[in-house]
Amino acid sequence: MDPETSRRPNDASTARVASSDRHERFPVRRQGRARKELERYWIIGAWLVMTGIYSALRPSTFATIGTLQTVLGSQTALVFLVLALMCTIATGEFVDLSVASLLGLSATVVPVLYVFHGTSLVVASAIGIAIGAAAGALNGFFVVVLGVNTIVITLGMSTFLLGIALLISHLNAVSGLPPSFADIAVANVWGLPIAFYYGLLLVLVFAYILVFTPLGRHMEFVASNREVSRLAGVRVNRIRFGAFVMAGLFCGVGGVIVSAGLGGFDPSSSVGYLLPTVSAVFLSATVIQPGRFNPLGAIIGLYFLATGELGLEILGAAGWVADVFYGAALITAVALSSVLGGRAS
Amino acid sequence: MTDPPRLAVNGLSKTFGRNRALRDLSLSIAAGEIHGLVGQNGSGKSTFAKLLSGFHTPDPGGAMLVDGVPLRLPTRAAELRDRGVAVVHQDLGLVDRCTVVENLRIGAFSANRLSRAIRWPHERELARATLAELGHDIDPRARVGDLSAADRATVAIARALQHQAPGHGLVMFDESTRALPRASLDHFYALVRRIAVRGGSVLLVSHHLDEVLALADRVTVLRDGAVTGSSIATDELTEGKLIGLMLGHSLRQQPRTERARVTASAPGIRAQGVSGRLVRDLDLNIGAGEVVGVTGLVGSGYEELPYLLAGAARASAGTLTIGDNRIELVGASPRDLLAAGLALVPERRDEHGLALSLSVLKNVTLPQIGTGRSKAWIGSAWELQEARWVVDQLGVRPADPQHRVGDLSGGNQQKVLLGKWLRTAPTFLLLHEPTQGVDVGAHDDLITAVRQAANEGSAVLVAGLDPAELVALCDRVVVLREGRAAAELTPPITADEIVVAVYGATAGTMVHRGGGGHDGP
Repeated sequence: MDPETSRRPNDASTARVASSDRHERFPVRRQGRARKELERYWIIGAWLVMTGIYSALRPSTFATIGTLQTVLGSQTALVFLVLALMCTIATGEFVDLSVASLLGLSATVVPVLYVFHGTSLVVASAIGIAIGAAAGALNGFFVVVLGVNTIVITLGMSTFLLGIALLISHLNAVSGLPPSFADIAVANVWGLPIAFYYGLLLVLVFAYILVFTPLGRHMEFVASNREVSRLAGVRVNRIRFGAFVMAGLFCGVGGVIVSAGLGGFDPSSSVGYLLPTVSAVFLSATVIQPGRFNPLGAIIGLYFLATGELGLEILGAAGWVADVFYGAALITAVALSSVLGGRAS
Repeated sequence: MTDPPRLAVNGLSKTFGRNRALRDLSLSIAAGEIHGLVGQNGSGKSTFAKLLSGFHTPDPGGAMLVDGVPLRLPTRAAELRDRGVAVVHQDLGLVDRCTVVENLRIGAFSANRLSRAIRWPHERELARATLAELGHDIDPRARVGDLSAADRATVAIARALQHQAPGHGLVMFDESTRALPRASLDHFYALVRRIAVRGGSVLLVSHHLDEVLALADRVTVLRDGAVTGSSIATDELTEGKLIGLMLGHSLRQQPRTERARVTASAPGIRAQGVSGRLVRDLDLNIGAGEVVGVTGLVGSGYEELPYLLAGAARASAGTLTIGDNRIELVGASPRDLLAAGLALVPERRDEHGLALSLSVLKNVTLPQIGTGRSKAWIGSAWELQEARWVVDQLGVRPADPQHRVGDLSGGNQQKVLLGKWLRTAPTFLLLHEPTQGVDVGAHDDLITAVRQAANEGSAVLVAGLDPAELVALCDRVVVLREGRAAAELTPPITADEIVVAVYGATAGTMVHRGGGGHDGP
């Protein structure tokens, strides 16, 4: 037996007799600690194994710096979407399905205004971001103020916003943003587009807020039990509403950066972003802080999924593989996070 | 006696885990009799009601016979209906959105043989006939939600009676008068008497002793799951004697330890004209260092008061003065009252008290997060210190601040909940059933901690049902009836005195002590 267990009887004798709970939980917890560490970082191991297999199968194409650059550098839209979804899910809302369309609308508005209406880039970008925040506030109004079910509202909003984006773009992909504007997204910094570092910075700030600030702690309690939070003086509805607005802002900013990087946007492409986003966010509840949705875990999950998909494509899998892969990943992630005591329900 | 009794209960018991809620209950109700069943909370009344209605399965060995023929146990709704046994529940069990005929006939609708559609004209005729038998003319098509309280009671009783041929059947009223306003009580009593006159039997489960004495022919008294007074004719009974039987000598008397004397000059709290859903225009002063209990029957408003004062439930009128801080309760949020120095320890710790999925440490420090300290950094040392204090002072086991609260036992969760609010050093501490569902050891730890808070200058309000707990905690006990203060008990307070004030129609009835508990069975 380890020294911890052999010391237990001594502890028990000095403990207060009045208490009813025995110390039987302690040995269980000790054994559980190693397993807990494994739970936290399993994804790193899975990543290494996956990379190893792909590299062995396609040493010339997969095991290159180019692959790494692709994986890390081409996820801009998804990084912003993960942050947006994290805002509401960290305050206990169920999945906000409108984030992808919202980002798509902002990304469409910028080139439409610039190309079709001659608006300056600054104004177009500001409007794109404002639309994101406004749509987020609209979500918040329905869900928080009127108390309507999150899934229903955001599902409706998702389709509605996609329709608006198709309307203003005349059902077409819009392009024609100046190459100079692309620099805000794709300027090369140490081999990677600058947008990668925006994402990294925002994720770190977000993670800091959640873990170390009063706001983050309040969000955690609102997610865990709204009534307990309210009775402890937390402004529950303000935090929930703020989360929707913040999610809209992330989508707005993300939309502007994505359209800048691509020189325009195809509104019908936004739909494809939703599933990877949700998968990554649910994966986050299985790593770093198992049982809790966390931004660092979500970003790691995102790159993990991107690696998996890219590898399958290099192996020659056809267009269907992304659907099968992300669908399966979502189901696995949700199941795992529920089993690990996540708040998936 | 040649005829078998309408309802005979022989040796009925019910055990939940290690707790015997009902022990060897025997009971006999004659045809045309109104039989009262009384006892304190937790004495086994509701358990019996749930055994009769088939909600619980009794322990093996007991029997229930209707007109001499045993019921299959657990009882089934269809069999009960066929044998004429009906139950009228606390809230009358009516669906407000539906019509009278729908409420009456639910479960017994007759359908057209071909189309399988409900034969509404026929149903309405049946409903009208049943109501007419009770001497009431209520439109079967009216929505139940639009009826007066008296008519609602009539519909509920008519539903219970419709399957009973005159001269047969038994109706159990399980605290049915709780949902009725005072004005419609006479009407209700008349209906109950009518059942008996028709030859039906009535089992009246009630907290209102005056009501039981006035209506019932005989009374059975339960205490701690056992019969202490068996089928006593009400002619021989007084309210005092009944209370004596309910109390017995089972109450644990807590020795009262000396405490710091309340200084009259110290500012405490002052609640004025507080009204809510149940509470009516209540005034209450509590001095600093004083512990005041509020109690009463369920529905009297004692259970609502802490939430009204804390801004957690909507008040329709009233002000609260904490120290020099006067707060309008209408529209006040919990946040406003917390800022004024109030702390509420609610009854439902799983729903209102603690976030079960989070750690002891996070739960303990929640009220202090974001108040006065930096907005950008919580810090960790002070949090650990706060959680350690709670764990050490209240004896939380396991003594690990990072432990998930949901994994603690009920008693330890309650300690964390109390500790969380004690750490805010409240000027006004409100507790609702602070030791409910807690084992003996934790119970004493909690009592000590609350007294300690009072000694350090908090004004404390304890809302609860358990007389022993109130005696152990309180300097003064206020008894509410129908939302108003009906009695105020001052030291030396005994549990018996509290029970008398709560259950007795007239406060101050002398308890028939000693002999009462023993001359029953």
